[in-house]
Amino acid sequence: MTSTAATIRLRGKSLMLALISAVFAFYVAGPVYWLVKTSLEPEARVTAIPPTLLPQQPSLANFEAIVRTNDPITYQNRRQADPATGNFVPSNARNLLPSLWNSLVVGLAVALLNIALSATAAYAIALIKFRGRDLALYSILVSRVIPDIALIVPLFLLMRGLGVLDTKGGLVMTYLAVTVPFTTFILINYFRSVPVDLYKAARIDGCSHLGVLRHVYLPLAMPAVVASLMFAFLTSWNEFLFALILTKSIQSQTLPIVISSFVLDFTINFSFVNAAGVLAIVPPVILAVLFERYIVSGLTAGAVKG
Amino acid sequence: MTLVSPSASSEREVVAPGRLRFALRAPSHDERSALILLAPLLIVLAVVAAFPILYSFATSLFDVNLVRPMRQPFVWFDNYVQMLGETRIRIALWRTAVFTVITVAGTTLTALAVALFLNETFRGRRILAILLLVPWATPSVVNGLMWKWIYDSNYGVLNGLLSALGLIDHYKIWLADPDKTLYLIANAAIWKQMPLSAILLLVTMKSIPEDLYKAARVDGANVLQRFLHVTLPALRPGLMLVLVYETMISIRHFDLFMLLTQGGPGNASATLSWQIYVETFRSLHFGTGSALAYILAFITLILGALMIRLGWRREAR
Repeated sequence: MTSTAATIRLRGKSLMLALISAVFAFYVAGPVYWLVKTSLEPEARVTAIPPTLLPQQPSLANFEAIVRTNDPITYQNRRQADPATGNFVPSNARNLLPSLWNSLVVGLAVALLNIALSATAAYAIALIKFRGRDLALYSILVSRVIPDIALIVPLFLLMRGLGVLDTKGGLVMTYLAVTVPFTTFILINYFRSVPVDLYKAARIDGCSHLGVLRHVYLPLAMPAVVASLMFAFLTSWNEFLFALILTKSIQSQTLPIVISSFVLDFTINFSFVNAAGVLAIVPPVILAVLFERYIVSGLTAGAVKG
Repeated sequence: MTLVSPSASSEREVVAPGRLRFALRAPSHDERSALILLAPLLIVLAVVAAFPILYSFATSLFDVNLVRPMRQPFVWFDNYVQMLGETRIRIALWRTAVFTVITVAGTTLTALAVALFLNETFRGRRILAILLLVPWATPSVVNGLMWKWIYDSNYGVLNGLLSALGLIDHYKIWLADPDKTLYLIANAAIWKQMPLSAILLLVTMKSIPEDLYKAARVDGANVLQRFLHVTLPALRPGLMLVLVYETMISIRHFDLFMLLTQGGPGNASATLSWQIYVETFRSLHFGTGSALAYILAFITLILGALMIRLGWRREAR
């Protein structure tokens, strides 16, 4: 009797879990599914009432349109394109691919420079005893307390003064300042979790500080390093407000800026804009999925302790 | 400042010398190494963080108006007084409070539910844990675009789904309804912010020793009692972190307001951060704009300090 009751309870529990799994998957993936689904349809299907659950006449035409936007847009071929059939493409759509490139370059540069700066600083703060160590740590952390929007005007003036307004370099500098406090904090926590005897032994063997960092600490802190790289890249890839003010032309505009210009445009071509959105989602999601283990262990190391 | 023998004080603890001697002592080899290692980061932060922070605070004390660039008198805290005296700013403060409370509460509760769920062992758990990262990795601009499209009053799937299920009998205007718009934006914010909090809570849960649950079970505690008396107290540090972090980012949220409503309809979603944007970049009143930004910064600081203080004190008892 008890065993059947137990199996019933067990079955009830797994049924319950399956049900919650479905709700969870619907909540987390549903909105993205809708974005992807409507990026695969022609505009006429996208704007059909009522909307259908599965893509109708699915094709990659919208993505093809993104690749083909480099053809010069003239009055003629713009007029020929009919909004109702989904051939209409926003006038600045040709900026999409260059902005994708800008986003990649800026993101990679920020990730690499960030790890170079924050690893050396974190090593110094975590392991070397020196006057003003706490002051250095707090001044690094406190720089993130002021809301970004307060810093825009001075940053604009600063970048103009340095002659890097509307350049990728200016964005890289800004994003470094944005990401470095958090990655330094993560790395300090991780370095401190490594037994300090390793540091002492390596130093006594005559290894230089940079040598200890490179050969002992960076390899041991791999999860935190990968998490920091990811954090820096994703933050730069996703950032919107600074890029909105600090960039003007396609020389430096990143993907979020070009996409937001579609969204805020008068004539929205939903299917095309959704395809652009999918384009912006794919790289970060792939990175997140690939490095899932590192992100979870690296980002949360030390953070949860207190 | 000539060469100091490298081994001299590298590992030796300096035993509390007087302040004067401390200041006069030449930096040891290790101290110089530390400064050299820190220098690149500190230089970048000094230029790109410290300078803008100080500059904008200074700006908040001047009457700077780009329409009238030649006369910019120093006005002490008049900008702050003026801004706090305006009704639209007080309403914006109230809206910010509402938005923050909804978003923080929604994020924390959803994240707690998700963490409890993913803490179970079952088939497919790993796939769902990876799926959880998708909202986290989604750029906020795409998040805005996505929800704008879902909420669309003509072709949006929210109307389509709800009317297919028979929950509404006619299509609704979602974002353009002043009574709903703040909640709908909060929903989009929660969707994106929930995963990181859930991961933090999940990691905290995993650190709870299994023995505690066994002991509680022996004592005859049911699921709810185990949650209330074992899980929740052990979760406090993680929960505190989530609450503070979510408050900090919700209170200053900007991107979704820009993309979804631009403060509208009317002023229904004009929160403090949106008013800062309007004051600075539309009215070009840099002085009052900076003052508003610093009001937001002070509120954030005080709130964060209070929360940490309260949470810490309770824990100590």
